[in-house]
Amino acid sequence: MAIEAIAARFSTLRNWLVLLVLWEICGRLQVIASGALPAPSSILMRLWIDRADYPPHILATLEGAGAGFLIGNSLAVAAGVLFALFPMAARLGRGVNIALFALPAIAISPLLVLTFSGATPRIILAAIGCYFVTMSSTVTGISQTDARMIDVIRAYGGGRWSILALAQMRSALPAILSGLRIAAPNAVLGSILAEFGGGGRFGLGVYLLGSLGRAEPDRLWGIGLAATLIAGLAYALFSLIAVRFTGATKAVTVPATAPGGEATSWPLWLRLLLSTGSILIPIALWWLLLIAMGTPAMIAKTPVGLFEYLFLLPNSGVSQMKLLAALGQTLPLTIVGMALGIAFAFGLALMSVLRPGIIRGFMPVALVTQTMPLVALTPLLVLMLGRGPSVILWITISVTFFPAFVTMAQGLSMVPRAALDVPRAYGASLFTQLRLVSVPASLPYLFAATRLAVPRALLGVMIAEWLATGTGLGNLLNQSRGYLDYGMIWAVAVVSVLMSVVFYQCVVLIERPVLARRGMHAAQ
Amino acid sequence: MTGQSGIRLENVSRSFKGRGATVQALDQVSLDCPAGSFTALIGPSGCGKSTMLRLALGLDHADSGAVSIAGITPMEAARAGMTGVAFQDAALMPWRNVEDNIALPLDVLRKSRRDNAGKIASLIELVGLSGFEKALPGELSGGMRQRVAIARSLVTNPQVLFLDEPFGALDQILRRQMNVELQRIWISSRATTLLVTHGIDEAVFLADRVAVMQSKPGRITRIVDIPLMRPRRPDIFTSAEFHRLEDEIAGALDGH
Repeated sequence: MAIEAIAARFSTLRNWLVLLVLWEICGRLQVIASGALPAPSSILMRLWIDRADYPPHILATLEGAGAGFLIGNSLAVAAGVLFALFPMAARLGRGVNIALFALPAIAISPLLVLTFSGATPRIILAAIGCYFVTMSSTVTGISQTDARMIDVIRAYGGGRWSILALAQMRSALPAILSGLRIAAPNAVLGSILAEFGGGGRFGLGVYLLGSLGRAEPDRLWGIGLAATLIAGLAYALFSLIAVRFTGATKAVTVPATAPGGEATSWPLWLRLLLSTGSILIPIALWWLLLIAMGTPAMIAKTPVGLFEYLFLLPNSGVSQMKLLAALGQTLPLTIVGMALGIAFAFGLALMSVLRPGIIRGFMPVALVTQTMPLVALTPLLVLMLGRGPSVILWITISVTFFPAFVTMAQGLSMVPRAALDVPRAYGASLFTQLRLVSVPASLPYLFAATRLAVPRALLGVMIAEWLATGTGLGNLLNQSRGYLDYGMIWAVAVVSVLMSVVFYQCVVLIERPVLARRGMHAAQ
Repeated sequence: MTGQSGIRLENVSRSFKGRGATVQALDQVSLDCPAGSFTALIGPSGCGKSTMLRLALGLDHADSGAVSIAGITPMEAARAGMTGVAFQDAALMPWRNVEDNIALPLDVLRKSRRDNAGKIASLIELVGLSGFEKALPGELSGGMRQRVAIARSLVTNPQVLFLDEPFGALDQILRRQMNVELQRIWISSRATTLLVTHGIDEAVFLADRVAVMQSKPGRITRIVDIPLMRPRRPDIFTSAEFHRLEDEIAGALDGH
């Protein structure tokens, strides 16, 4: 076993070396798109030359990401506990949660820069990037606490708080940590995207935007590498902590009851009231925030202001046409890119069951595609693939892939060993095991991954449109920024959020009956 | 204290809604366990044994009928620290070591762990886990985990003890040993005990009375008194009287 593990590690190392050598050769010979892919050695050399430039940029990005990470995750854990304990609060908070989750960071980054000053936009976007992941993993962790443990505490008269303090918080810890693991690179990405929106002289995003026009691929790669390294270190840190805790937390036996199957039967009027409330709360927050900030009405559009812009002004017709045309370009690519990204993640997650070594070998690659393509690969991919839709597709696939893969691989790793052993005992092949056990067991996670992927896909498409192709909503956003067309910026932001929400709700609508028919519960 | 710690279930009914179908887990069941008595519940799978226990523990609520412990509701009794429970599955917290798992009821009841340190140590010795105080459940065998759960159920000096197939996962040899131990513990504590079990021999060896249940709908069909003298020694397992009682219960289980 030990020898096998060492051999697996060795072969991973070997694969990486081979890849690196190939890359070096391609770079040296300028095989790909005449120099768009520089050799690793020249990237490193460039990093060395630029070394004095990096510290202030990295520090500025870390500052925004770090503060956002702390604030966003504190709020997220608190909210997660609240939602797990009080189903009614969860129902009311749904609207805000989905809106925050579906918010394509790039769409509101110009708005934040207009409304706030200094590092605030970065902190807000980093915090938003963390919130949903951590909040939902807190809820999952708490509601998946072993029911028998809770029985023991209740049998001694323990109430809600005893259960929370003695069992649920501790047993949610691994889930929360794996949430933080994804939240960490998200915070870095959030900060960088806010830097794209403008404001501030320092930050990796600022540095990147400044270097974009200069046709220096080696510097772009260097910046991307730095961003990836920061995200990777944050991810690795929380992975290490998670390993420490999950070691002691692995369930001792297989739970007999399905977790969190609490059937709440509220009367219809209450359900309607809660749904209405959950839709109204985000709109009210939007409005209140603008009033509280005192932003001038010209820049800050309230819901009424936006309605006026889109429907009542003399120019409204033109605005509507522009918006619809952009939407028509963005929508199909989002759907296709998302489907491909998830399919790829699903396939790889299944393979990771067969060959656990794959996770070890592939995680770093997945991680690189997490931050790298958004900020650095886009211009390079443009050079390689042209400015057509294929660039958008590749970028979308790579941003949806990572979170989908993590969700599904984690779900599959929770399939009890015994369930896999039963078909094996009857001589089933690995493929049959997958078909009979792993794939059905992974369904809830497939849906969860799809829900997770929806807004990321939209984000990927819009970033590609902004930076590369000059089409669709991403481009409209960038253009409107140039024309100071604030109404259109708000319109794009709101439309992209709505689109995400609608997508998300569609997934939920399919998920519920499918899982219910199989007696399964939705995974977060 | 005795005379106040009996378990009473009166005309209790409980049904569950599954996917489409409704299952009558308990139908008008009554059971009275006098203070200081040892009652065993035995019956086929799905006859509502565990449901009865959950109702008596206050973990579940009856559709109709009344449940009381020492004249108060099960939850009140639990909050007063009168009860102890060991489940079919050890249900240990994987992140707590043996000592801490045994101390869990004290934490829930907000009782000082230091005052009970001696109690915890003696319980660990009683269940034969000396040397494993700091071990995590994941490092223990199934039988050892179950013994931790037994020790945990006794840490509050309960007047009322609920045991839900506590030895179901143990092998026959260990199970007999634990039965002998449990009897010793019970004789010294005289806690009112309700034991849910699958084992006829276990029920006869431990209980004063065995309540035989049938399913569809779940109900008690017969109560068999066990007039064997205490303390019962292991050689009683082979006695003629013991076999006669076993046969009587087996007959009742078959519906005779």
